[in-house]
Amino acid sequence: MTALAVNAENVRKHYGGVTALKGVDLKVPEGSIYGLIGPNGAGKSTMLDVLCGIVTPSGGCVDVLGMDVTRLSAAQVARRGVGRTFQRTATFGASTVEENLRMASYGAMRHAVWDRILRSPLYRADIASFVQRCEEVLEICGLASVRHEKASSLAYGTQRKLAVAIMLMNEPRIIFLDEPVAGMNNSETGEFVKLVRSIVKGRTVVIVEHDMAAISALCDEVLVMVDGRGVVNDAPERALRHPEVVSAYLGGDDEGVDDAA
Amino acid sequence: MTRGFQTQASGSGHYRNLALVGLAGVLIAIVALGTDNAFLLSLAGYTCGFALFALSVNMILGGVGEVPLGQCVFFGVGAYVPAIAMSRWGLPFEVGVAMGMAAAAVLAFAIGWLTRGLTGAYFSIVTWGLTGVAMVVALNLDITGGPLGLFGFSRLAVGPFNLTDPRVYFLVASITLLVVLIFLAHVRTSRFGHALESIRQSPHLAQSLGISVPLEKLKILVLSAPVAALGGALVLPYTQIVTPEVLSVMRTVEAMLAVLIGGTALLYGPVLGAVIFTVLPQMMDFDANVKMLVFSLLVIFVMIVVPGGLHQAIGMLRPARKSRVEA
Amino acid sequence: MELLFQTVMNGLVLGSGYALVAVGLTLIFGTLHIVNFAHGAFFALGAYVSVQLQSFGLPYLVVLPLAVVVVAIIGVLIEVLVVRTALYDRPEHGSIIVTFALSQAVVAGLVLLVGPDPLPVRSMFSQISLSAFGLFLSAQRLFIVVITLLVLGIFGWWLKRSVRGQQLLAVSQNPRGAYYSGINVPMIRMLSFLLGVSAAGLAGGLLAPIISASPTMGDAYVIVAFTVVILGGLGSISGALVGALIIGLANAFFETYVSVSWTPALGWILVIFVLLLRPEGLMGQKDLNRH
Repeated sequence: MTALAVNAENVRKHYGGVTALKGVDLKVPEGSIYGLIGPNGAGKSTMLDVLCGIVTPSGGCVDVLGMDVTRLSAAQVARRGVGRTFQRTATFGASTVEENLRMASYGAMRHAVWDRILRSPLYRADIASFVQRCEEVLEICGLASVRHEKASSLAYGTQRKLAVAIMLMNEPRIIFLDEPVAGMNNSETGEFVKLVRSIVKGRTVVIVEHDMAAISALCDEVLVMVDGRGVVNDAPERALRHPEVVSAYLGGDDEGVDDAA
Repeated sequence: MTRGFQTQASGSGHYRNLALVGLAGVLIAIVALGTDNAFLLSLAGYTCGFALFALSVNMILGGVGEVPLGQCVFFGVGAYVPAIAMSRWGLPFEVGVAMGMAAAAVLAFAIGWLTRGLTGAYFSIVTWGLTGVAMVVALNLDITGGPLGLFGFSRLAVGPFNLTDPRVYFLVASITLLVVLIFLAHVRTSRFGHALESIRQSPHLAQSLGISVPLEKLKILVLSAPVAALGGALVLPYTQIVTPEVLSVMRTVEAMLAVLIGGTALLYGPVLGAVIFTVLPQMMDFDANVKMLVFSLLVIFVMIVVPGGLHQAIGMLRPARKSRVEA
Repeated sequence: MELLFQTVMNGLVLGSGYALVAVGLTLIFGTLHIVNFAHGAFFALGAYVSVQLQSFGLPYLVVLPLAVVVVAIIGVLIEVLVVRTALYDRPEHGSIIVTFALSQAVVAGLVLLVGPDPLPVRSMFSQISLSAFGLFLSAQRLFIVVITLLVLGIFGWWLKRSVRGQQLLAVSQNPRGAYYSGINVPMIRMLSFLLGVSAAGLAGGLLAPIISASPTMGDAYVIVAFTVVILGGLGSISGALVGALIIGLANAFFETYVSVSWTPALGWILVIFVLLLRPEGLMGQKDLNRH
């Protein structure tokens, strides 16, 4: 039995009168690429927020990387190896790409004020590993050519890559991608799929999406959520042909697999 | 509007900083030696104190993007504590200043902890309210001298340096300012400084990177308080008196104006603004209300047209960047 | 015993004055997400315009509504010139700084135009004093309470029952959603700002016969208004009403039974106390300080 990066059972969440999550089970094997899909309003984003410690569930237990995230703050969860990107691409717009990565490596560094003043070995090691990791990440994400550009001046697709780079700087052991290919055309999506494959090594990746093509191409396993519940948990090809899934997608909001006109 | 980014590789940054420090030293020397006018020298000394206060305001405003209307409490504490220490307890000025800085830090911790759940308007308004409370306290307690305040200080001196001599006052004040600037430059490029910048730009993203936003905000508040207090202490030789007015939110507004004019993004922006703010009124010998009117309209103008202050204004004169860069 | 009742009456009168100003303030914050530090300026303007109109020989009952209209017009000008360009959809600290500067500009302008000394406003109610059950109450104060209740009552009814009122509520809760529903958001924002500052102007006109018009009158009042608004929760109108009542009564009691000179600090101590226990204020919505 492989270790579980995410072990969530019976997760429930209500806000006032609305129940966003009605008892969701999610078990993500370590090292896999996992998809969390479903139409709008299915509760995927809420589930994601719960897993990252941003939202405290009304019930159920949530274990991510062996820690109970319901008791930790979002910052604490992030410090312990959980990385995520956001639906609305978040970068530090006023800073250059390199500065973005510097700011992103806060968690990965360990030195304190006196280390810096005294230029202690710990400080030097931190800086050295930052420089090295920075080069690696710039390379992997294809951002080397724009390293001195201001983040807000980058094209949308490039900003997306920067968001991934930022997350990588924190050396996460599990990565949550929130609708990473929304608004991308086919070629951009293809590029992104390649990027995700290249960053997987040793990590667990959970993708929240409703783009079928990207999901099928990437994920080993998916959980389909409809209306706050987990409906089917299987390999993508089989899950997407499940009758409940088909009716949920065709009957409700037509998301449109292909965003390109 | 990029911040100084230092890696191990930027030796050039090092030389640039040394050059800036050298330039500052030269400026100080010019002012100190270039004039014998006692009033000008004292005013210059006062400007340094005010600049320190403006710097402390910018540590919060430009640091994490909050409006610290209550910052004048620390400024006032920095003025009152040495005054009380000298008048009531017979302690030397230096000791009083140190006590003031410590008291400000402790107060900042309490206030920061109290407002740790507040951001934006709530934080600004509550800290503003605390200045009101502080003023009422100062007005009513005996130890603070009530509405008349404290004056007639026995010995305003730092070690062998007598601050009643305008030239000495200016030298001490300006060198203190320089030291604090160097310290703040160091903070800015540190891990902590980068954390603050990430909070300023996007608290949500910062949090997802493991930065505890409330904790870092508390840290910078506690760090800014002694700077403000130091500024408060350093205006004593000029004003020769401490009244409850020193705790008024208007002091913070004046400092914010200085910060805005100089630009929040530059480390020494507040210093520039402080100089303009104290020098200009001297050149305009107008009614206080005219000055207030002009300055207020200036603030509004700045905020509408160039929210980034002088720094942005100069940047706007440069040709536009090429747009949308692909990778 | 009479002292107790008198204090309660004072508290209620104080409370009504605060209520008008506070409701305007919280309305502007709730709908526009602007912290209007210039609110006190409109309060002062209401008083000063009353002075001016009265110098034309108009009776008080005519002066009052006219003053509100004039303040509303000034509000429109400010909205178009300053608020729209500098404040909408910009980071919050901008609104704090700009409105603060605006308030200082108005104070300075007033001092330059009419001088720093207080100017009186005469009302036919000022001279009349009512007495019942051994209590004394000036008719003007009663007038204030009555008008406040009337105005706020009508406003509340309008919010709940009229189309525009509903639209206003929609914009305050979800501007984008309101926009997509076809609501004319800029117009609603202008309306909110207008209503908010007019309420302050009305309060100024109502209180001028009692406290006289002085350039800094707005500062003191707006500070209390802020404590009321925070107590009740930024953006909550009912909270502002409750807060006004509490602070009005608290101030009256503290002044009478404890000490006058420490009273200005009371409101803030109450606010801090409430915020410690309930960060969103008595009736505020959570997460109002995160956008």
